[in-house]
Amino acid sequence: MKRSIPPLASAVGRSRRIVAVAGLLLLAGLACATWPLSVRDDLDREVRLEAAPQRLVSLVPSHTETVCALGACERLVGRDTFSDYPPAVRSLPDLGSAFAPDLEALVALSPDLVLVDEFSGAADAVAALGIPVYAGTPQRLGEIFELAERLGALLGTSEAAGELVERLQADLDAVSARVVGRAPPTVFYEVDPSPYSVGPESFIGTLITLAGGANVVPGDLGDFPLVDPEFVVAADPEVIVLADAAYGVDLAAVRARPGWGTIRAVRDGRVYELEAVEGDMLSRAGPRVAEALEVLARLFHPEAF
Amino acid sequence: MSVVPVSARRVGVRRLGGPLAGSVAALALVLVVAASSGSVPVGAGEVVAASARGVEAALRDLVGSAPQPDAVAPDAVAPDARQRVVDTIVWQIRLPRVTLAALVGAALALAGAGFQGVFRNPLADPYLLGAASGAGFAAALAMLAGGGLGLLGGLGVPAAAFLGAGLTVAVVVLLARRGWSLPVVPMVLAGVVVGSCLAAGTSFLLLAAREQAASILTWLLGSLAFASWERVGSMLPPLLLAAIVLLAAARALDVLQLGEPAAAQLGVHVEGLKLSVVAAATLATAAAVSVAGVIGFVGLVVPHAVRLALGPDHRRLLPIAALWGAGFMVLADLVARTVIAPAELPVGVVTALVGAPFFLVLLRRRSAA
Repeated sequence: MKRSIPPLASAVGRSRRIVAVAGLLLLAGLACATWPLSVRDDLDREVRLEAAPQRLVSLVPSHTETVCALGACERLVGRDTFSDYPPAVRSLPDLGSAFAPDLEALVALSPDLVLVDEFSGAADAVAALGIPVYAGTPQRLGEIFELAERLGALLGTSEAAGELVERLQADLDAVSARVVGRAPPTVFYEVDPSPYSVGPESFIGTLITLAGGANVVPGDLGDFPLVDPEFVVAADPEVIVLADAAYGVDLAAVRARPGWGTIRAVRDGRVYELEAVEGDMLSRAGPRVAEALEVLARLFHPEAF
Repeated sequence: MSVVPVSARRVGVRRLGGPLAGSVAALALVLVVAASSGSVPVGAGEVVAASARGVEAALRDLVGSAPQPDAVAPDAVAPDARQRVVDTIVWQIRLPRVTLAALVGAALALAGAGFQGVFRNPLADPYLLGAASGAGFAAALAMLAGGGLGLLGGLGVPAAAFLGAGLTVAVVVLLARRGWSLPVVPMVLAGVVVGSCLAAGTSFLLLAAREQAASILTWLLGSLAFASWERVGSMLPPLLLAAIVLLAAARALDVLQLGEPAAAQLGVHVEGLKLSVVAAATLATAAAVSVAGVIGFVGLVVPHAVRLALGPDHRRLLPIAALWGAGFMVLADLVARTVIAPAELPVGVVTALVGAPFFLVLLRRRSAA
């Protein structure tokens, strides 16, 4: 979903207006949309539906969450291994990884729409079986709303999609309002102990900014750069967020790294270990985005809550 | 010395029939078992019926492009949902996958036998001259480029991988050649060096591409997950061509085992033989890699297993290795797609895990005898 909506910067108000206007335009267009319906997905394939789909398979965790947030959870008949939220979906048949789904089991479920990641390679394979496929995954904050609108259109739940977008916007604004104007702490966000981090333009990077933090990773390193540990020591962040805590990385491990004991975040005890569920919220661009933002905002500005 | 190939020939001719018939029968059995196994239980009868309907439909497509509503009419009454699902699973998912696995296994085993024969080195495998690294690099580039980046993206991953494998080996051969001759050791060294270089490039692409990283990795580990009849079709011509060239070279390969000077004295055009075998084995490798990614172990081990069981005569070794490679690959893929269903094991992991102990047993039994 990279092409359509530019990344949202910190200007919440402006981005909200843009999204709201875009949403209204889309809604106006959809109000007169009738079946059969044709939509273009992120691979620029035409997805044609004869009627509102009733048997959905989602092979992307964020799509699974969005479908449920649109009130269509009971239409899901299958999921990928990583789709574990909301808890109700865990009892659905597991079709394996999105990159090598069990196509036989998928066909046996007789789905009338399959949602896949645009990079998984599954889109063509599933489409070749005569099953409608929508390929596309939000990579940016704005694209969450876009996906909600599009799925709303595909599922015939545009009204719910409009409400969802409005609610998410309000929730995001409420969190941002608490931290706006406060001095942003410098932040290093660790995705894994290599260490991989996030660039300011990435989804998580955008949330860091919105939550009132200042990412130490510069934008020209890309969205998910492997950074030099020396760089982190030199940047001396005030806060370190360990999204890899679920994999066993903790404050002690960080302190034990050569030179990292001198970093302000380590000295001040501001190294935060994210729980697995928080890490999921932050890595899936889906309807839990406002909760994810609040997780970060509370870490950066505990005094504001 | 000239007696050796002659006696080898007599033995070869006498002993090919039995093993060949046995191997074909075993492969047929393996194919049937694999086609009737999967995560969705489908009875053997249903498999046969669905296959028959698939063949019939394909023939109808092939013969009469003119509309034949009459032929379709009986089906149009109400093909129940269960039958439609079974037809799709058997004809569009399982059979192309099993067929493709067989072709890939045959191609890799043939290529491995060819490389081992021409280099007279038991450690040679289809990827010795950098075919895997070249294909991997090109495939990763194609995945990164997606549909958007002009020629490379438009080619698609299979074509990019095929070209990557072929071009890499061509470069290696050009780097290693001395005039019109192809010295073996420089060729192998050049293959290793060029391969390492491209593998480093692939690693870099893997790190740079966060979003496509999982797809690239899945491809690099080898997978038959998205098999289709189109891929079967794209793989057949190069495989057949390679098989013809290699089988035609079988006798000369036997003579070559005496050493290059001796083979030359016995009338073998050594340089021409090396070039054509390397080209044919590379063609087979590239075809396999283009549709299934990099699957290890098959090309190394299957020729050895055949050699241990039936001896080193290439006229026996090559066809039997192709059949055993096919059967082994189909079984490995069957394990890959069923053992932890709905998840899949990378098929390359299975070929190594299953193949290595099997090979060791063969080796032990052989040395004990």
